[in-house]
Amino acid sequence: MTLITQTVARLLLAPLLVLAAAILVKGYTDVGDGFTAGILVAIGVLMQGVAFGHRQAERLLPVRVAYRLALGGLLLGVALAIAPLFAGDAIFTHRPLPGVSPVKLGTLELITPVLFDVGVFLLVLGTVVAGVHLFARPPQEDRS
Amino acid sequence: MGKAMRPTIGETGGLVVTPSGGRADLPAAMPSTISLRTALGLARQTERAVPRAEAILASVLAVLTFGGLLVVWLAGGAEVDVPWAPTLDLRLAFALDGLGALYALLASGVGAVVFAYSIRYLPLHLRHMERPVRDGRSFYALLVLFMASMIGLATAQDLIVIFFCFDLTAVCSYFLIGFDRSEAEARWGALMALVVTGITAVLLLLAAVILYAQYGTFSVPELASRVQPGAGLTVAGILIAVAALAKSAQVPFHFWLRRAMVAPTPISAYLHSAAMVAAGVLVLGRLYPLLAPTDALRDGLVVAGFASALCGGALSLAEDRLKPILAYSTVAQYGYVVALYGLGGPAGATAAALYVLMHGVAKSALFLIAGAVTEATGGEDSLRRLGGLWRSMPILAAAGFVAVAAVAALPLTLGFFADELFFKAALARGPVPTLVAVVVAALTFVYMFRFWARLFLGPREADATPLPLGLVLPPVLLALVLLVGGLAVGPFEKLAEAAGAASLGAPAPAAAAYHLDLRATNLLALATFLLGGAGLWLEPRLSRTASALAALGGRIGPERLYAIGLRGLNRLSDRIHDIEVRDLRTRVAAVILPGAGLILLGALITPTDGRFRIGSVSLDDLGLVAGLMGVGAAALAATRPKEHLPLALTLSAAGFALAAVYALLGAPDVALVAVLVEITLSLVFIATLGRLPRGVLRREADLTLSRGRRVRDAFVGAAAGLSAFFVVWSITSAPSPRQPVAADLISRTDDAHAKDVVTAILADFRALDTLGEITVLAIALVGLATLFGPRQPA
Repeated sequence: MTLITQTVARLLLAPLLVLAAAILVKGYTDVGDGFTAGILVAIGVLMQGVAFGHRQAERLLPVRVAYRLALGGLLLGVALAIAPLFAGDAIFTHRPLPGVSPVKLGTLELITPVLFDVGVFLLVLGTVVAGVHLFARPPQEDRS
Repeated sequence: MGKAMRPTIGETGGLVVTPSGGRADLPAAMPSTISLRTALGLARQTERAVPRAEAILASVLAVLTFGGLLVVWLAGGAEVDVPWAPTLDLRLAFALDGLGALYALLASGVGAVVFAYSIRYLPLHLRHMERPVRDGRSFYALLVLFMASMIGLATAQDLIVIFFCFDLTAVCSYFLIGFDRSEAEARWGALMALVVTGITAVLLLLAAVILYAQYGTFSVPELASRVQPGAGLTVAGILIAVAALAKSAQVPFHFWLRRAMVAPTPISAYLHSAAMVAAGVLVLGRLYPLLAPTDALRDGLVVAGFASALCGGALSLAEDRLKPILAYSTVAQYGYVVALYGLGGPAGATAAALYVLMHGVAKSALFLIAGAVTEATGGEDSLRRLGGLWRSMPILAAAGFVAVAAVAALPLTLGFFADELFFKAALARGPVPTLVAVVVAALTFVYMFRFWARLFLGPREADATPLPLGLVLPPVLLALVLLVGGLAVGPFEKLAEAAGAASLGAPAPAAAAYHLDLRATNLLALATFLLGGAGLWLEPRLSRTASALAALGGRIGPERLYAIGLRGLNRLSDRIHDIEVRDLRTRVAAVILPGAGLILLGALITPTDGRFRIGSVSLDDLGLVAGLMGVGAAALAATRPKEHLPLALTLSAAGFALAAVYALLGAPDVALVAVLVEITLSLVFIATLGRLPRGVLRREADLTLSRGRRVRDAFVGAAAGLSAFFVVWSITSAPSPRQPVAADLISRTDDAHAKDVVTAILADFRALDTLGEITVLAIALVGLATLFGPRQPA
């Protein structure tokens, strides 16, 4: 049982990350968004915790880093909210404006809402991973 | 903390822990000759500790801010007006007008001096508290944030921005008062300041909403031109005044300032004398046009101000410890300012501004001196055990004298002019305010000189080690400002006049000067000095009376009410928590059963015709039916497991089946989120169960319920299931027409460069909501980290 869990957890990690990246990038044209991508990566990390113990999961994404991801996501979101003020627009005026065709990178359209989605992604990832780590950590380790 | 363990500053400027501490940096050779510096009471700086980068950075930032503000102000001021949410008429409106310039310059100027003082002070403080030096980083970060919010408040022209900055100062103050978080007193004081100033700050928001409802704007200048006397304005004015009085620690809210004195000295010198407490009277000055039309409110301000001046003075006389004496004197001094706004007129508004300026500088200097004295004497902060210190620290004694003289309004200091205008405003109002003004000023004279004389004159009570320059120069600098103001009042007067004009909306000439004649203000000043001198002579008797009054106030005063209220609230919360925790399932039943009853009632009294239709099932729906049967099977299975983990997994199986149903219904976004949330919840369950002790889980799993309980649970379950069933049946029988809002959003998806409407809504159309939601998530994480994170070493 443990062997199966461990093998599955190890095998699934990379595909999960690829899937999450795809969802994050394609969020604007297809199912899924920053929230789903964030949860997916978090599940990938936490699955390692279930299979190999939470220390292994902490090595993959330490709580400290998770905090910073969450904070970074929140700051990114706030920055995108207030940045248009400097251009004289209302908050959350996304670029490019309606009717203006966006810059393309291959088939990828560069638009600011995706950046905001990245902020949501980082925050959800950080919060879920840090939250479950904090729950899972045995109490006696708190003192160390 | 043991006094003997307290490190003091050694002869060399290094730290000496005397006598039984673990570390002793004894100088290699004792100085054999007495240099000029030691004669002046200054330490030799041979072993100066390297100042921390953040301390230098913060100080430089404050100096630059001060310089920048000064330049902009001298160039004629500036304005910023950004409509950040135009549909709600919310704007980021700031203006560096007279009032804004005065408070912003005060906040950044005193800030610069206090930051510079902290360069030397904070490392000593952290060492006393046995904390690492890097803890200073949060200290400076909060101080700089506080300075920014204070400058924002000073220049804000929009009620919502004013409220935001007003609250931000309270939040900074909470963390700074509680900086020594290992001390119970610090936590209590920090919480008290936050509760008192935070709850009352909400009244300011309430007033803003009332004014918006009546006049349709949050902009202060527009409101000033639109307001008409009436019930709405009176209520809003009272709410604003209460918020301001609580912030400025006026009676009956004064008690929080005394408890805030547990903060490190620079915090007391900055927040709790010159800046945060000034925020209250700043709001009075800024919103003066909204308060002035209500006569009763102005009278109320006079009464509250004079009452605070008298109570604060008496409490200051009754105190024995340095910082509390200064705190109560701060209560009294802001009493002057509140009374001045109540007295009103050009003299009142200008005098209030000048008084705030003078008091901020003088009181910060006194706090810094008190901190330096406490450092030099190894932690002594009681007047009874201090005295005769002018011999060992003549420079500080002189600076202290200037500051005390300024507050007591002696000529040759800035304070004289502040009191001159104070008397002028009182005279304009009539004999009774004038009489009270003289009594208040005389009382100020007594407690200020009592503080200075007991500290520096008389027999020498405690030994003082020489102080480093970094702790001496800052208060000296502030005292020099007061002296310069006493000799050349011009620039200060201009600033105060501009501030008064900003409050009144009309020119407010002050005409402060030395007049060598027998005019009324001079006679009143003379009477004050005579009365004050007599009071100083009778000081021991006065202090005893004041102590008796203070003891009475402690038994029946507002602080007692606060403690009782807080304890009551705690007990109530505990009770509710107990009820909630004791039997959660019963509480769930308490919601489900009345809900089911209501649904039944609704079904009985409303027409059911066509409400419960049975549609047809085609072959295409086979997957859907199978999925729903899966949900049902999982739900039934969830009633079987006794152990926690299988139960959690069975429940999540029901969730997965439901996600499959969503997918089949053509809602892939919802299905994806449902699957992911289900997985995450299972992980949280597993993590939580892993945290609980095995024995507890075992015992809970082995619990057998009585027959009565089983019947009751089955009944509640059936009621819940049936009511939900009928509600869903009724809803699905009559599908609601497509919402026009949804059609609108879908049509705009192209404009947002999106093909997936759900993502476009989340990240674009409703981005502000999403930002709010992720902020809640971040706050939840902070809560989790606080509850479950590693504990700080005590």
